[in-house]
Amino acid sequence: MPMYQVKPICGSHIKTDLPTCMYNLPNVHAQPGSMFTSEHALQNGEVDPAVKALEARQDEIMRKLYELKAAVDGLAKTVTTPDADLDLTVSSTFCSQSPSSTTFKGVTDLDTLLGKDLGALRDIVINANPAQPPLTLLVLHSVLCQRYRVLSTVHVHSSVTNVPPQLLSCLGPRHADSYARQMFQLGFTLIWKDVPKLQMKFSVQNMCPVEGEANVARFLFKLLSPYPSDAAPATLVDSWVDTAFFQLAEGSAKERAAVLRALNSSLGRNPWLAGPEFSLADIACYCCVLQSGSASSTPTNVQRWLKSCENLGHFSPAKLFLQ
Amino acid sequence: MTKDEVQGATEEEQQAQSKKGLKKQQKEAEKAAKKAEKQAKLGAEQQSTEEDDFAKDRYGVPAMVQSQQKLDRVLVRIQNLTPEKADQLIWLRARIHTSRAKGKQCFLVLRQQQYNVQALVAVGDRASKQMVKFAANITKESIVDVEASVRKVEQKIESCSQQDVELHIERIFVISQAEPRLPLQLEDAVRPDGEGEEEGRATVNQDTKLDNRVIDLRTTTSQAIFRLQSGVCQLFRDTLTKKGFVEIQTPKIISAASEGGANVFTVSYFKTSAYLAQSPQLYKQMCICADFDKVFCVGPVFRAEDSNTHRHLTEFVGLDIEMAFSYHYHEVIDSITETMVQIFKGLRDNFQTEIQTVNKQYPSEPFKFLEPTLRLEYTEALAMLHEAGVEMGDEEDLSTPNEKLLGRLVKEKYDTDFYVLDKYPLAVRPFYTMPDPNNPKYSNSYDMFMRGEEILSGAQRVHDAQMLTDRAIHHQIDLEKIKSYIDSFRYGAPPHGGGGIGLERVCMLYLGLHNVRQTSMFPRDPKRLTP
Repeated sequence: MPMYQVKPICGSHIKTDLPTCMYNLPNVHAQPGSMFTSEHALQNGEVDPAVKALEARQDEIMRKLYELKAAVDGLAKTVTTPDADLDLTVSSTFCSQSPSSTTFKGVTDLDTLLGKDLGALRDIVINANPAQPPLTLLVLHSVLCQRYRVLSTVHVHSSVTNVPPQLLSCLGPRHADSYARQMFQLGFTLIWKDVPKLQMKFSVQNMCPVEGEANVARFLFKLLSPYPSDAAPATLVDSWVDTAFFQLAEGSAKERAAVLRALNSSLGRNPWLAGPEFSLADIACYCCVLQSGSASSTPTNVQRWLKSCENLGHFSPAKLFLQ
Repeated sequence: MTKDEVQGATEEEQQAQSKKGLKKQQKEAEKAAKKAEKQAKLGAEQQSTEEDDFAKDRYGVPAMVQSQQKLDRVLVRIQNLTPEKADQLIWLRARIHTSRAKGKQCFLVLRQQQYNVQALVAVGDRASKQMVKFAANITKESIVDVEASVRKVEQKIESCSQQDVELHIERIFVISQAEPRLPLQLEDAVRPDGEGEEEGRATVNQDTKLDNRVIDLRTTTSQAIFRLQSGVCQLFRDTLTKKGFVEIQTPKIISAASEGGANVFTVSYFKTSAYLAQSPQLYKQMCICADFDKVFCVGPVFRAEDSNTHRHLTEFVGLDIEMAFSYHYHEVIDSITETMVQIFKGLRDNFQTEIQTVNKQYPSEPFKFLEPTLRLEYTEALAMLHEAGVEMGDEEDLSTPNEKLLGRLVKEKYDTDFYVLDKYPLAVRPFYTMPDPNNPKYSNSYDMFMRGEEILSGAQRVHDAQMLTDRAIHHQIDLEKIKSYIDSFRYGAPPHGGGGIGLERVCMLYLGLHNVRQTSMFPRDPKRLTP
């Protein structure tokens, strides 16, 4: 539909008399964003938290996209081959054939991960329901203890009564130096509380609580080793963690069986779930397999993998629980 | 001409006056007639009372109870009036809480402490018209003896604590009459803040309540508060006795100021003067030196602080603990916090109705706590405050607003209303506080907080006479005045620590009340010495 042509209301070359008492600022919009960030990073020698947040958001979106793709592919597969519920072809493409290792690599610095040390203990508070003990977090706690000086404390909130004794001692015996909180790098405070969903609080001022065992596990694992910088393997780890918590731990028997089949086929190709390296995916899946009580009746590859997990020695806290 | 006019005017006036007068007289006459009529009626009524009151001996004001006779009559407690008692004829003694007459019947609410029940006097074969009238005219808060039959009710009586039954009164006798004008109405005294303003109904201000404490204490809220307070004391004693503590009594009239020296009440003591004890600390410590190992005491403590705040009293009940420890003063913290947690648990499990009752008038969030109790260090607290934008020095004491803010931050992160703050700067603690062995800036001292307010201040004490002398000199304290205190450590003293809490403050904060006067039965502050 034709529209009227309107003459510009004011001329485009109006000269405005700017007062001389004001600063002249360069045009913010004209500056290319990429240059801005790189300059910024160079100046400070570290990445701007805003950029980091942006990256994190992007990663999150990517992760969701991959998840969606996996889900759609999975659905497509179920239509064509009723035997496989989950698609795993994606995984093989990422795997480089480097030798596997079980120690966590990568330098992680608590200062950069958790913010500047203000002379106080950095205390991670986890509220968990005694009806659902978070095995994964207990395992991660014991690994954290090998890496850092961790002050572990267990409390019972007034909203629950009668917590079984093994839950009170689940973080191991009290540290001999526990009277001096300043001597520790990290605090791990587990509170048994009547919460519908597991909850983690770290910095009340700058961070909202993290909800769900899977998300808290991701947070804790990042203190141990950085996530793969490549989005694809990182997504693979994430997807396995979600599978573990949503389908192994909470799913029906049918779903569980499907996941075990998927685990089996994936472990046939790689020593560990997310490729050549032991990762959070293995920890989460191991704990959830254990918790679901199906550890004895698993396919061969999964059996072998469970054995190798046990040989690492990280899982004694979780095993202790199930006895 | 002018004269005439004037005369005319006065005549008119007179006429007007007489007219007015006439009217007045008429009115008066009418009034008198009405009065006479009324009196006649009243007289007739009275006559009729005397004539045909068949229930004459079923009500009245009997002679004052002077223990003339010992009746074997069993009086039932209102709280025991349950549907199982239906159709029984019982006696009970209670106060008239409210009364409402309606034609041929009169509804009473009878109260015993926090329990109440609806009662009914209705004209029938047991009660006469005169009896109903008598019942309706009994003043509120009077004490009555009542014989009544218990009846189940179809619909629950929402306004009473006994909802399933009501009483049908057959006899009613006044044991003690209350004056018709009460200084305050009980229903007004329990009305939640704010509700009265909206509906245009009265609320009672605090001073009126405290001036008429006897009536104020009859309210369900006050009954609940002081029952809970008694519970705190009981739990404190039970828990500590179980832990092997010994209860001691310490003198309250002392010769020298026990702490610093300021804020003590001076009393004349024969030819000299003496002081009222600010805290039993010196005596607790002397008991430790005398090998009692673990002691506690419950008793009044006096502070001559002229501060009119919501949380200061000049006399309050102190719950004090002192104990010898083996190697680390955290043993003391653990003992105290375990005791506090036992108290909180006991209150949570056994005083739920009292807590609910108080909450009705003063709504508050339930008290939350962790077991074992959360212990933070002073530097951590400073870092938390720093993060929240509060700038303060490393060796500065927490101000009251900062304390409250810190309480909120801790609650946000750990969801607890009770925590311990450890390792205070040495500079802000008294001279007898043991310095931190690793950092001379800090000390082995701690405060405990409930809902962001300090309730306990304690420390490891210096148990060495020489070190104590040095510390006293450093604080520029006159050594002569504290000679006996220092001397008590000269003959061997075990390492020890302790602390003391204020009973009123603990109750106030546990219930989330806003004034310590509500939890002190007869509060003493700079402006109040009575009742």
